[in-house]
Amino acid sequence: MIVSLLRIEWLKIKKYPAFWWMLGMVALTYPGVNLIFYNVYKNLTLKKDTGAIAQTLFGNPFAFPETWHSVAYFSSCFVTIPAILVIMIITNEYSFKTHRQNIIDGWSRSAFITSKIFDVAIISIVATIMYVLTAVVYGFWLNKTDTIGWTTELHYIPLFLLQTFAQLSLAFFLGFIIRKSFIALGIFMFYVLIVENILVGILKFKKIPLGRFLPLEISDKLIPSPKFIGNFNEEAYTLALAQVNQHIALTIVFTAFIWGACFYIYERKDL
Amino acid sequence: MNEQILNISGIHKNYGKIKALNNVSFDIPRGSVFGILGPNGSGKTTLLGILLDVLKSDEGSFLWFGQPSTPSTRQRIGALLETPNFYHYLSAVDNLKITQAINQRGTEADIHEALEIVKLTARKHSKFSTYSLGMKQRLAIAAALLAKPEVIVFDEPTNGLDPVGILEIRELMLELAKRGTTIIMASHLLDEVEKVCTHVAILKFGVLVAAGTVDEVLSNEDIVEIGAQNLKQLAGLFAQYPKVKSMQEKGNYLQLNFNLGTANLEQINRYCFENQVVLHHLLLKKKSLETKFFELTND
Repeated sequence: MIVSLLRIEWLKIKKYPAFWWMLGMVALTYPGVNLIFYNVYKNLTLKKDTGAIAQTLFGNPFAFPETWHSVAYFSSCFVTIPAILVIMIITNEYSFKTHRQNIIDGWSRSAFITSKIFDVAIISIVATIMYVLTAVVYGFWLNKTDTIGWTTELHYIPLFLLQTFAQLSLAFFLGFIIRKSFIALGIFMFYVLIVENILVGILKFKKIPLGRFLPLEISDKLIPSPKFIGNFNEEAYTLALAQVNQHIALTIVFTAFIWGACFYIYERKDL
Repeated sequence: MNEQILNISGIHKNYGKIKALNNVSFDIPRGSVFGILGPNGSGKTTLLGILLDVLKSDEGSFLWFGQPSTPSTRQRIGALLETPNFYHYLSAVDNLKITQAINQRGTEADIHEALEIVKLTARKHSKFSTYSLGMKQRLAIAAALLAKPEVIVFDEPTNGLDPVGILEIRELMLELAKRGTTIIMASHLLDEVEKVCTHVAILKFGVLVAAGTVDEVLSNEDIVEIGAQNLKQLAGLFAQYPKVKSMQEKGNYLQLNFNLGTANLEQINRYCFENQVVLHHLLLKKKSLETKFFELTND
């Protein structure tokens, strides 16, 4: 069953141009954005007067083992790129009406949703591989001789995977409910880039500690700001690290709820 | 022909206050070519949608092959519902590979055979998005035919086809029926249905108004067409004739309607002769499906 679903989804996406374009964009964006931040870091640490202080304060966020954390953090800001692909994959099914045809041809409704979980999982895994490659390249580039301790922060790999899967699941849910690609993409971007940030800001300003329970914040908190940023507010950084386990549970529950809702809705509605 | 391939029992479907289907029940025998007829909005596509599990009925049930519908029963059915639904960026072959992977029928050779049947071989590697409406329809028919399913469901199969294409599909359906495939088809084209179907069901505003073999549905009365020099005199004469249910003037002739099996041409001719009317036209007519359809569906 699983193999059959995977094979069918592969038949659907292997010749979908947007799939390869988006993967290409992820492959360029993840190393690219980290390179930008690395250059900022390099400029700060190479300054004659303040460079030594900056070096002491920041350490080397792109060297092992910190690279696992830093690259995960910066790469995760670009979840919108694979999210576009996820939204297009589900909304295409509606616009081509293949979501009906797949059922007519002999899939159960739950098989259809399961196949979409696989899509989101595969895209999340591919994004995670890109992140791992980026982190490894930076790590070995900046630790030419000393790679001792490079495995100490490997837990950021599953955290990145979980975060990506959770956030792409949310993107999928929007596409699943809204059905129109441009509207779903617009709402997702608007929410990710503007609405949730404003809500978090307002809640922070009003000292209501609920910002971290907003849909994206739940999984955003899986990867707290890297240590070199955390050094500016040691207390908040320590708290953020302490809350990671709680957010792992919350993210799993929230993501399970999203997919549960998809199964529930799809089983009951007219297609 | 006695075995039922589909039993529909008391299907209801409402869209808000609109009753799309109201207690629809009928059976479809194995090996039949079953036409589902009805004007726009009569519920044909809704009924097929329910039978193919893309719509949920509010009440009622149906059995395919004597069992409740499941993915495995649907895998035994080839279906085209409303429009051809395919991935626009994929070719005909790639789209049919997906259909085949889902319905688990046949091999890759069957894909090429189905494309050959619908004459799409030359364009089998072109993207679906580049196809004309007729070609898209042909591909949908190919998908339904893939690896010879036991039942084929067609919703308006000749949509978008040119006259040659329509003829080819008609011949294809007759060929499939000869092989024993059960065909269920919803159509507006009454002439088409009459030429191909062995059975019909007629829906009106979601209510089943007739169902059975084509002969049963058409022949619940005898129609006799008569002509004489003076039609008014003829009409006056037949106003008293026993067994005539109704009569209408149709051009130069008078059409008399009798209960099935009660019209006797010899008696009618003698009656006219005895009343000094010479008939120059006397014909026992079979009612066309079109006539019957309009009778049943017009208010």
